[in-house]
Amino acid sequence: MNLPDRPITILIAALGGEGGGVMADWLIDASAQCGFPAQSTSIPGVAQRTGATTYYLEVFPATVSQLNGRQPVFSLTASPGNVDIMVASELIEAGRAMQNGFVNPERTTLIASTHRIYATIEKMQMADGRFDSSRVVDAGRQLAKQAILFDMRKLAEDSGTVINAVLFGAMAGSGALPLTREACEQAIRGGGRGAEASLRGFTSGFDIAAGAHPTPQSPAPPKHASEIGEIMRLGIERLTDYQGAAYADLFLERMKFFQDKDKKLSSETARHLALWMAYEDIIRVADLKTRASRFERVRKEVGAKEGEPVVVIDFLKPGIEELASLLPHFLGKRLISWAQARGKLDAYNIGMHIKTSGVFGYLMVRSLAWLKPWRPHSFRYQEEQEMIEHWLARVAEAAQRSPALALEVAQCATLLKGYGETHRRGKANFLALMDALVDNPATADTVEQAGAIRKAREAALADPEGKALGGALGKPVTWLKQVGRT
Amino acid sequence: MERSFKKEVELLKLGDGETFHGEGILAVTKALLQSGVAYVGGYQGAPVSHVMDVLNDARDILDDLGVHVETNANEAGAAAMLGASINYPIRGAVAFKSTVGTNVASDALSNLASAGVRGGALVVLGEDYGEGSSIIQERSHAFAMKSQMWLLDPRPNLPKIVEMVEKGFELSEASNTPVMLELRIRACHVHGTFTTKKNLGSKNSKKNPIAEPDFDFGRISLPPATYAQEKHKIEVRWPAAVAFIRKNKLNEVFAGAMSDTGIVCQGGMYNAVIRALQLLGLADAFGATRVPIYCMNVAYPMIPEETVAFCADKKRVLVVEEGQPAFIEDALQAALRRADANLTKVHGKDMLPLGGEYTGEVVLTGISRFLNRDVEINAVKKLKTRATELLGTVPARPPGFCVGCPERPVFAAMKVAEKATGAFHISADIGCHTFATLPPFNIGHTVLGYGLGLASNSAVDTMFGKRTLTIMGDGGFWHNGLTSGIANSVFNKDDGILVIMKNGYSSATGTQELPSSPQHSESKSDDMAIERALAGVGVGWVKTVDNYRVGDVAKVLKDAMSTEYKGLKVIIAEGECQLERQRKLRPVVAKQLSEGKRTIKVKYGVDEDTCTGDHSCIRLSGCPTLTIKDNPDPLRRDPVATVIDGCVGCGLCGENAHAAVLCPSFYRAEIIQNPGFFDKALNKLRNAFRGTTIHQRN
Repeated sequence: MNLPDRPITILIAALGGEGGGVMADWLIDASAQCGFPAQSTSIPGVAQRTGATTYYLEVFPATVSQLNGRQPVFSLTASPGNVDIMVASELIEAGRAMQNGFVNPERTTLIASTHRIYATIEKMQMADGRFDSSRVVDAGRQLAKQAILFDMRKLAEDSGTVINAVLFGAMAGSGALPLTREACEQAIRGGGRGAEASLRGFTSGFDIAAGAHPTPQSPAPPKHASEIGEIMRLGIERLTDYQGAAYADLFLERMKFFQDKDKKLSSETARHLALWMAYEDIIRVADLKTRASRFERVRKEVGAKEGEPVVVIDFLKPGIEELASLLPHFLGKRLISWAQARGKLDAYNIGMHIKTSGVFGYLMVRSLAWLKPWRPHSFRYQEEQEMIEHWLARVAEAAQRSPALALEVAQCATLLKGYGETHRRGKANFLALMDALVDNPATADTVEQAGAIRKAREAALADPEGKALGGALGKPVTWLKQVGRT
Repeated sequence: MERSFKKEVELLKLGDGETFHGEGILAVTKALLQSGVAYVGGYQGAPVSHVMDVLNDARDILDDLGVHVETNANEAGAAAMLGASINYPIRGAVAFKSTVGTNVASDALSNLASAGVRGGALVVLGEDYGEGSSIIQERSHAFAMKSQMWLLDPRPNLPKIVEMVEKGFELSEASNTPVMLELRIRACHVHGTFTTKKNLGSKNSKKNPIAEPDFDFGRISLPPATYAQEKHKIEVRWPAAVAFIRKNKLNEVFAGAMSDTGIVCQGGMYNAVIRALQLLGLADAFGATRVPIYCMNVAYPMIPEETVAFCADKKRVLVVEEGQPAFIEDALQAALRRADANLTKVHGKDMLPLGGEYTGEVVLTGISRFLNRDVEINAVKKLKTRATELLGTVPARPPGFCVGCPERPVFAAMKVAEKATGAFHISADIGCHTFATLPPFNIGHTVLGYGLGLASNSAVDTMFGKRTLTIMGDGGFWHNGLTSGIANSVFNKDDGILVIMKNGYSSATGTQELPSSPQHSESKSDDMAIERALAGVGVGWVKTVDNYRVGDVAKVLKDAMSTEYKGLKVIIAEGECQLERQRKLRPVVAKQLSEGKRTIKVKYGVDEDTCTGDHSCIRLSGCPTLTIKDNPDPLRRDPVATVIDGCVGCGLCGENAHAAVLCPSFYRAEIIQNPGFFDKALNKLRNAFRGTTIHQRN
C-alpha cells in the first residue's frame, strides 16, 4: 500500500500546570490504540512554574503492520510552517505560535481557547497594559487553514474538568487528528482518576469543533459610557450618591463651559470630572464596604454556596493622611505639613483586620460612612476641589486653543488613582506634568504640546514606581520647566 | 516529591522481550539495570530529576537486585561516588544536569578520569541547553576533552539510547575510562518504546560483598602515579577506546546517492537532519537519505579513520554540531589535514549559527544554505512576517512563582524595606527564588551558582557604605552553601546578611527531599535542622520569620540592616513550598468535606468599586491568581484587580496591602463549609443587622 509520506505533527502551547503533559500522554495512548507509531516530547524545565511551554508530538498515520517493520524517524522539535495541528490553551500562546511561524494557511488547524491569562507585564501597568485579544483572533482566522477558537476554560469549568480535556475533544472533533474518537476516549479512561469529568469536557469540545453544537459566544464586556448624555447621567447619579444633590449640581455647573465644545472633549472631561469629584476618601470606602450589595457580590465572587456563611475581613490601615483628610482644613493642612517635613506620612498607620461582616466590625466601618455630611468641611475636600478647579481651568484654556490639546490635558486626571503612597506619587506626577507641559510649555505648537503631554502621561503610567519620571521623562520635565521660565 | 512514579517503577521490572513505553530518561534508568549496575546516584535538576525520583520510588526492586541508591549532596558528591569503580569491577552510574552539574562535579571527575576505572562508570548528563533552559549556555564536550572521558551522544530514539547505555559500560571497561552520556532536554522527555531485557545483578554488590580491599598506588592521584596515569590515558586507554568504538560500530554511516556531498552530525542532531532533508525532498519519512550521513553517537573522541574515510571522496561536507566552540568541526578539519585529504571543503558554523539550540528550523535553514535550496526557508520567513504584521509583539511569559508561593512575600518585604533603607545590593542564588529577578520584582543583582549566594557577596558587601543582602535557598544551603558561604563568612568575620528561603524542599527541581525537609521517606534521616547547623558553625545572629507576615519580614530586614551586631546575620524565611503543601492539604480537605465536618475555606478578593485600577498590588505580588479584569464601572476605563479561582488563601495580597499601605480594596473571605449550629445562629444575627434600616440610608 501507499504509506503516508510524512507524520502528522501536533504542537501544544500551554502554561505550566495546565495539564499539557497529560494531554500529550492521551495522544500517545490513543495513537497506540490505533496502532500508529507516535512520539511526544517536551521541555518542562522551569517553565512548569507558570511560564509558557510547549509539547510536541508526531503521529505516523499508518499501522505497524502496514509499515512492515519500517520505523519513521520523528523530529524532536516543531518546524515552522510544518505543523498540522496547533493547540494553544490560552489566546496569547496562540499568538506566540503564529509569531513563530507555526500556523500555516495551507496546512494548520489552529485550536485555541480564547480566554486570557494575563502575563505579569500586562498586569503590572498602571493603566491598561493588556494585549488586544481581537488581534490574535483575527490573525488566527487569517493565518490558519481552519481555526477553532472559543472559550474552552469556561467550557471546562462548566463540565467540572480542566481545559486539557476540552482541547483534546476539540482536536478530535476538528477532523485534523488521524485518531478515532473511540481511541481518544479510551485513552482518557485509561488515565484513571477524573476520567468521567474529562470525558464530559472531551465531548463538549468535540461537539463544538465538529459543528454539532454552536460555538459558544463569550459574554460581552461591561459597557463603557462614552456618549456625553450617558456620562452626565451617570455622573449626576454617582455624585448624588456621593454627597447629595447640591454636589451633583456643582458637577453640572462645572460642565457648563464644555457643553457646546468638541464631543470627545466634553465627554472625557465629564467622565474624569465625575470620577475625580467622587474621590475615594475614607468615608467613601467605608460606605462602599458596608453596602448590602457588596456582601452579595463577595459571596458570589468567592463561590459560597447557599447556606454557607461567609465571614468578610477587610484590611484597612489608616494613618496620618486619612486622619488629616477628615480634619477641618487648617488642622489637616498643619498635620500634613508637619508629617511631610519629618517624613512621617506613613509612620503611624494602624493596621486593622476588621470583620466587616460581624456586628461590631460593621458598625465601626459604617460609622465612618456616617461622616458624610462633614465631608465638605474636611481638609481633603478643599484640597481636591482646588485641584479640580485648577485642572478644569487648564482644560478650558486649552480648549480655546485646540480641542485635541484640551483632551490631552483632561486625560491627565487619569494619573490620580490609588491610595496612600500610590496616590501621592500619582498626584506628584500629575502636578509635575501640569507644571512642565501645560503651564510652562516649551512650544507654542498645540500638536507638539499635545504629543508631549501624551508621551509624558503614558511614561508615568507605564512605570508608576517613578523610574521613568526620574529618567526618560524626568529630564525633559526639568529641562522644559527651566526653558519655560527663561 | 512533585510526582509519584509508581507507574513508572513497574516499567523497571520488565523482562526479556517485553515492550517499554515511556520517557527517554526512564529508558536510561531501565538500561542501567539491564547493564547490571551495583550503585546509582546523582543530583536532581531538569532534565534528569526523574532519574533520581524514580530510583527513590523503586527502592524495593533495587534492593532485590542489590543496587545501592544514594541521594548525593551535590554533583561533586555524585561524581566522587564513582570512585567505587576505580579499584573494583563494579558498574555504577550517576546523573545530573549539565553543564552546571558537571561544573560542580569536575574536581571529582578529573581525579576519576586520571585514576581510571575497572568497573564501568557512566555519567548521565541532562543537557539543559536551548529553549526552556534555566542555566548558562555551555557545552559538556569541553569536560570530555580536558579529562579525556568519552562522550556519548546517541541518536534520540529509545532503542539507540538504551543500546548506548549498555555499550557505554562496555566501552568504559574496555578502555578503563569513565564515560559520559549526554541527553538533550527533549531527548530526556521523548516518549517512545523499546524492547527490554531482564535486569542483571552485579557480581559484587550489597548482596555479594567484595572480599578484599584492593590497594594499588597506581590508582592514586598523587605524583608520580599521576604522570603514569596521563601517559596511560594517551597510550593505552585512548587507542583501546577507538578500537572498541570502531569494532562495535557505535558511530553510524547512512549511505546516500549524492556521493560528492555529506553531512557529519552529532547523534543527537540526527533526527533534525533527517527531517530537514525530508522537507527538502532528499529523504523519506523513514530516514532513507540521498545525502550520506556520518552520525557520531560518540561525540568524543573522534575516530579519524572513520571521519577521513567518510569525507575523503566528497567535495563538500557539512558538520551539524550544536553549541560552541565548534570542537568537532575543528577536529575534523585537523583530521583531514593530517590525512592529506585536502580536497574536501568542510562547512559548519559558516552555514549554521555558532551558538544556540539547533531546532528543526535552524538545522533546516543551515542545510538549505549548504545545498543551495532556499525555497522552504522563504516560505517560513513570509509566514513569520505576516504574523508579525498582524500581531506586533505578543507579551512574553517567563516562568514565575506559583500561586501562594512562600518566597514571593519575602521579595515583597524587600521592596517594602527598600523604601525605608534605600536600594541595596542583593546577591541572588539559584532556585525558584531566582524568578525574583524577573518582573514585577526585579530583585537580585548577580547569580553565581547554586548555593553560592553568600560566597558571591563577600567582596561586594565591603564596597558599599551600607550593608548588602544575600539570598540562598535551603537546597543551595545543603548543596554547598553551608560551607562555601556561611562557615566561610563566619570565619572571615564578614558583616553580611543572608536570607535563607526555607521552603522545605528542593522545589525548583521537583520538590525533592532535603536534609531539612519537614518529613522524610524511610530511606532518609530525620532531624537535620538548618538552625542547628548554623549554631554549629557559630552564627550568632539568627532570626526566623514567617514569610507571609510581610510587615514582620520587612522589619527584620530593616533590623538586620541597622543592627550594631558585626558578623553574619541570618534570617530564616520560613514557609512551606505551596505546591507540596497543597498536595498534602487537598486530600485532607476533601475527606473533611465528604465527612460533613466544618471546614473553613479562605479566599481573598478585591472590591471592584473601591479599586481604582492602579495595579500597585500586582507590582508587589505577581501572584498568578491576582490579575485584572474589565472595569465594571461604566465611567472607568482601566481594568481593576481581581482574584481568580485557584487562590489558595495564602493572604499575601492582604499583607501587602497592609505592609505597603496600598489600598483598602482587599478582603479576606472565610467560607464556612458544613456550618455548625453556632455558625448558623451567628450568621442570622449578623444578617439581621446588615441590609436593614441601618444600611438603607440613601
